[in-house]
Amino acid sequence: MILEDKIEDLFGYVQERCLWQFFSRTWDRQENIDGVLNQVAALLADNEPERDTPMKKLHYADAKIMVSDLKERYPWLRGIDEIESRVLLDGLKARLIDTAITRSTNRELSHHLY
Amino acid sequence: MPMVLLTCDKDIPERQKHIYLKAPNEDTREYLPVANAATIPGTLSERGCAFCGAKLVIGGVLKDTIQMIHGPLGCAYDTWHTKRYPTDNGHFNMKYVWSTDMKESHVVFGGEKRLEQSMNEAFDEMPDIKRMIVYTTCPTALIGDDIKAVAKKVMKDRPDVDVFTVECPGFSGVSQSKGHHVLNIGWINEKVATLEPEITSDYTMNFIGDFNIQGDTQLLQTYWDRLGIQVIAHFTGNGTYDALRGMHRAQLNVVNCARSSGYIANELKKRYGIPRLDIDSWGFSYMAEGIRKICAFFGIEEKGEELIAEEYAKWKSKLDWYKERLSGTRMAIWTGGPRLWHWTKSVEDDLGIQVVAMSSKFGHEEDFEKVIARGREGTYYIDDGNELEFFEIIELVKPDVIFTGPRVGELVKKLHIPYVNGHGYHNGPYMGFEGFVNLARDTYNAVYNPLRHLAGVDIRNKSLETPTIRREAA
Repeated sequence: MILEDKIEDLFGYVQERCLWQFFSRTWDRQENIDGVLNQVAALLADNEPERDTPMKKLHYADAKIMVSDLKERYPWLRGIDEIESRVLLDGLKARLIDTAITRSTNRELSHHLY
Repeated sequence: MPMVLLTCDKDIPERQKHIYLKAPNEDTREYLPVANAATIPGTLSERGCAFCGAKLVIGGVLKDTIQMIHGPLGCAYDTWHTKRYPTDNGHFNMKYVWSTDMKESHVVFGGEKRLEQSMNEAFDEMPDIKRMIVYTTCPTALIGDDIKAVAKKVMKDRPDVDVFTVECPGFSGVSQSKGHHVLNIGWINEKVATLEPEITSDYTMNFIGDFNIQGDTQLLQTYWDRLGIQVIAHFTGNGTYDALRGMHRAQLNVVNCARSSGYIANELKKRYGIPRLDIDSWGFSYMAEGIRKICAFFGIEEKGEELIAEEYAKWKSKLDWYKERLSGTRMAIWTGGPRLWHWTKSVEDDLGIQVVAMSSKFGHEEDFEKVIARGREGTYYIDDGNELEFFEIIELVKPDVIFTGPRVGELVKKLHIPYVNGHGYHNGPYMGFEGFVNLARDTYNAVYNPLRHLAGVDIRNKSLETPTIRREAA
């Protein structure tokens, strides 16, 4: 499988399952994308995710379920090393930011009432 | 496939911006229906008013609160008994309705005295009730009645009562969605942190955006009880006024309906640092996922797995029985907004149902981002649909069952298409594991019901044969 196809798989999963990518405001979305994917990276590398703040605990909860689902759906994910994982997650992050923030046509993302 | 102009909309071409037919390799960056915009003149859509969003959807759910509607009688009557949200205290909120019954003379000379008298009468009549929400309506907003001043006076005269005011007349927004927003922000500005809740568990959360439709909240509460999680406040299913004043003390906000109640979750995060976790409470895999996330947050994963295993053992075989018989069923969902994205994938994954058309009354563009991301290709995504569009869409997608409200439900019944009440449910609850089996049962009974075929038979016309029933019930 080429890298682009793997990123497409991960992106498809997030689109289908993850409500955190579509929070109300630009900064919420950025915070969630960064926070969850950081925890996903830690879990894929078998590192202990940080859980010393409420937000880190929240992103850990989202990431834990996501990693478990992804490994079940995509067996190729089980054997990847830390470098490939980072490249994959950077690619996924770029796709998510492009879709949910940069090129989102949602007119409320920066609304003053939100 | 870009945005679609239906034949019935040829004279109102602006509607093209609101209807999308999803094609392969497209996403919301290219095509996103315009939403939460004023209804276009010439389209008779099925939206509610902003007052209705505040009172009927959120405030009126509370089980210990008088809902004083400052306006003509119709505003009270039309937002009473049209949603089914029972309570565990004898359904106080559904038994009674309160109105200041404004007449022409009150509009001419002002209604504040009338409001004060009505508030005092209501408290006198119900001496055990000490909480009240007062709502403005179109006429009382237009004449400038100061309901906040009246509420202050009544609270001064009656030190044991607490009154919250919602100034959100029907005309103040494009749909009921405005009322959700106004009540959310008003509540956090004026009432949150005015009372300290009693903390009884190491794990505390608010459950935000479930309204105990036919017992949804009470069913889910059995899960939280088994997990040892204290729900400080339900916003607002089976909820109490005072519990909602203590929302600032929760460790986590779990959000089901992000459209009606995302605002308060956002503000609780901004002002009190409480994280917001959005989940789907409908569907087996979604509910399990939500429980897993909540338990992972609190570090009680094992308890969560036990609960999920118990519930699967009890309900999964029943769900599968229905899945076997519902696979391939074509469903349309014409509801408020969030149920489009809550349901489109859950009915597909858990029941094999294809959702072929969806229409949202008051969803925002965020809701369409969610539903288009989750939904199928070849499905229509409609903002603020009208009746003629519904008829045309039915011709295009040929649904076997439509989840919608009773008004549109009556329309589709005339076409001999079964409908299931997507707002108040047929026989709920529909949330949680047991609830989704209920939804499956009602869908099965709708799709396999032979009466709808027989309803089309006209014995005066001998040339017509009795219609063939395509699906035989199991």
